[in-house]
Amino acid sequence: MSAISELRTLSTKRRGPRPTAVTNLRKSDGRAAAVFLAPWFLGLFAITLFPLGASAYLSFTRYDMLSAPQWVGLQNFVDMVHDPRLLQSLRVTFTYVVTGVPLQLVAALAIAVLLNQGMRGLAFYRSVVYLPSLMGGSVAIAILWRQVFGEDGLVNKALGVFGIEGMGWVSNPDTALWTIVLLHVWTFGSPMVIFLAGLRQIPDMYYEAAQLDGASKWRQFRSVTLPLLSPIIFFNLVMQVITAFQAFTQAYVVSGGTGGPSDSTLFYTLYLYQEGFQNLRMGYASAMAWVLVLIVLAMTGANFLLSKFWVFYED
Amino acid sequence: MSQSMNRRAMRAGSAAVAALLAIGLTSCAATSNGATSADGGSSGDGAGSGEKVTIKFAWWGSDSRVASTQQIIDAFEAENPDIHVEPVSTSWDDYFEKMNVMAAGNDLPDVMTQDDRYLTEYASRGLLADLASLDVDTSKVDQSVVDTGKIDDTLYGIATGVNVHAVVADPAVFEQAGVALPDDTTWTWEDYSDIAAQITAATGGSAYGVQNYSFIEPVLAIYARQHGEEIFTKDGAIGVSPETIESWFQRTVDQIASQAEPSAETATEIQGAGVDGSLPSTNKGAMAWFWSNQLSAIEKSAGRPLTLLRAPGDSEFERTGEYLRAAMYYAVSAKSEHPAEAAKFVDFMLNSQTAGDINLTDRGLPANLEVREAILPKLSDADKTSAAFIESLTDDGTFADSKPVPPKGSGEVSDITGRINSDVIFGKITPADAAQRWIDEVNKAIGQ
Repeated sequence: MSAISELRTLSTKRRGPRPTAVTNLRKSDGRAAAVFLAPWFLGLFAITLFPLGASAYLSFTRYDMLSAPQWVGLQNFVDMVHDPRLLQSLRVTFTYVVTGVPLQLVAALAIAVLLNQGMRGLAFYRSVVYLPSLMGGSVAIAILWRQVFGEDGLVNKALGVFGIEGMGWVSNPDTALWTIVLLHVWTFGSPMVIFLAGLRQIPDMYYEAAQLDGASKWRQFRSVTLPLLSPIIFFNLVMQVITAFQAFTQAYVVSGGTGGPSDSTLFYTLYLYQEGFQNLRMGYASAMAWVLVLIVLAMTGANFLLSKFWVFYED
Repeated sequence: MSQSMNRRAMRAGSAAVAALLAIGLTSCAATSNGATSADGGSSGDGAGSGEKVTIKFAWWGSDSRVASTQQIIDAFEAENPDIHVEPVSTSWDDYFEKMNVMAAGNDLPDVMTQDDRYLTEYASRGLLADLASLDVDTSKVDQSVVDTGKIDDTLYGIATGVNVHAVVADPAVFEQAGVALPDDTTWTWEDYSDIAAQITAATGGSAYGVQNYSFIEPVLAIYARQHGEEIFTKDGAIGVSPETIESWFQRTVDQIASQAEPSAETATEIQGAGVDGSLPSTNKGAMAWFWSNQLSAIEKSAGRPLTLLRAPGDSEFERTGEYLRAAMYYAVSAKSEHPAEAAKFVDFMLNSQTAGDINLTDRGLPANLEVREAILPKLSDADKTSAAFIESLTDDGTFADSKPVPPKGSGEVSDITGRINSDVIFGKITPADAAQRWIDEVNKAIGQ
């Protein structure tokens, strides 16, 4: 089954008869499947569902971890409305998501189109451009980022060659967030690989027909590539938005865990962490976590609704 | 068709996966409770006579402290063959997160090192034992130092050693700038700012006069005491006036303007670089505020001898400002199953010369005065400098009284101060607004 059609069955309401082979398989191998799934279920209950339930309960309590939680009803959620740092963290996170994700997808698509020109050694180049994504979430790269954008860093050295006087990009509240957005854009590898696979699914005949009609490269990209790729773009968008809302490591390391300077890199998750583990307000942090879940769900729902207007399913 | 594509696409797209991913978020906030209960009770083995008792000892610190602490544990076990000490160590950054989680799991180590910002937090929740009721000898410790571990007259922590917050000065930079080292028994805050500005000007900016002091609160504590105030009173309320805080932030603003200290951006960067990246460590500045036991680390980075100066303004207002701070405390868990053995270990750490000789000044200048006296000849030059510094301040009565133990929630004060300072140095708020916000946020943190 091709990737595009698979996505289609998963993400649209089209219902068709499932292939009978799957039905037969399920009957005969049901018990084996249960056995193989058991470890996963165990993990699901012990590591995911139990903490999930606990945090749901804690979100209605005042809990400092050192003494028993006290039920406070909706107080945590009321407090959030009046918490200026929470609003700041939302501002930071939304700025990051709204700028970082589209920029990253554009970069990923551009590189994927470039790599799809039928060049030799594609596997090698694909690996090379994927490399940043493997490292991007790591602590080492975040530390490197601090150095590169520091006052005596590589960026300022490069600017110095052109006679431009640089600044402390990471230590200036007006630019610190953008260095992290850039770090996010740089880790375009995983959407890029998905784009690349999607591009190779587009039948050549469309391009041939377009060429016969005299369409330019750009016109071919707009009228053939983009519509046929739109389900993949949609998938990448949904996944990257969810990932971006959870960004933590980069902000934690680049700001030294403070979200500074001047709270300019105070990501939602970072503030959640500070409140829970540093300021001993685990109840409040749990409430924050649940609000984030609602935000991410709402954003994902909105994405699915809006997809009607721009995602094109072939046939 | 690439393989990874297929696999990815299979997983992908479904709203169910998306929702699960999103929901996974909440578990990060909740994993703390129960996560540690699995290994609970491991210290409860063998309480009967003749059997070996195991106690846990937790501390924070670098690799060298891990090694030296293990030596002390070995020496203790050699003297007490029926007690086994199980080490629990982390870096400072993770320490209280780990302790909080262990406390939540009802599994606090029998003995732990504590910090004054968290001592009340733990003591007020009944997590720490009253050390006066256990068999720990504090007779060799100065009474004012013992008092730093008392909350409502109960002894929850015993100071491992003492520190004083002071100005680390680099005589080489003073010389390079052609500025004389000040007489630190009489200098005022104006002298301090003037000297710093002169140094930046005279060195053409290759060295700064002083490093920004308002990212953390110890200098504010000194400044408040000089004005007859305390950051926190004995009753655990804020005792420093908005005017004092305002003038404290105002000096930062003025010094950035006069270039006595680096610009906001550079200051932020230096602050993030820690002790090793500080101005005196990198030979790029004449002065910076640090704890006296940090002198040796800074001197090591600087590669040349540094010295300590008293706080300016000690004779300018109502009184002197410096205070002896417990570098850390030894504390015993209230729920320890072996309080007697735990106390024995604390007593060994505090009073035995063997432990003192290994510790030297790693946990502050030893609180036990006899141990302190005996280790003096063994110290490095930098540690000798800070020991002599503390001694001279002690001798002329600069430490008029001990600073009250800060209240519950005061662990946040550093972060609050740092955040507000950022807004001040980048010109986002005025020092007057900063003072008010500091009071509001600290009040919220301590639950007032």
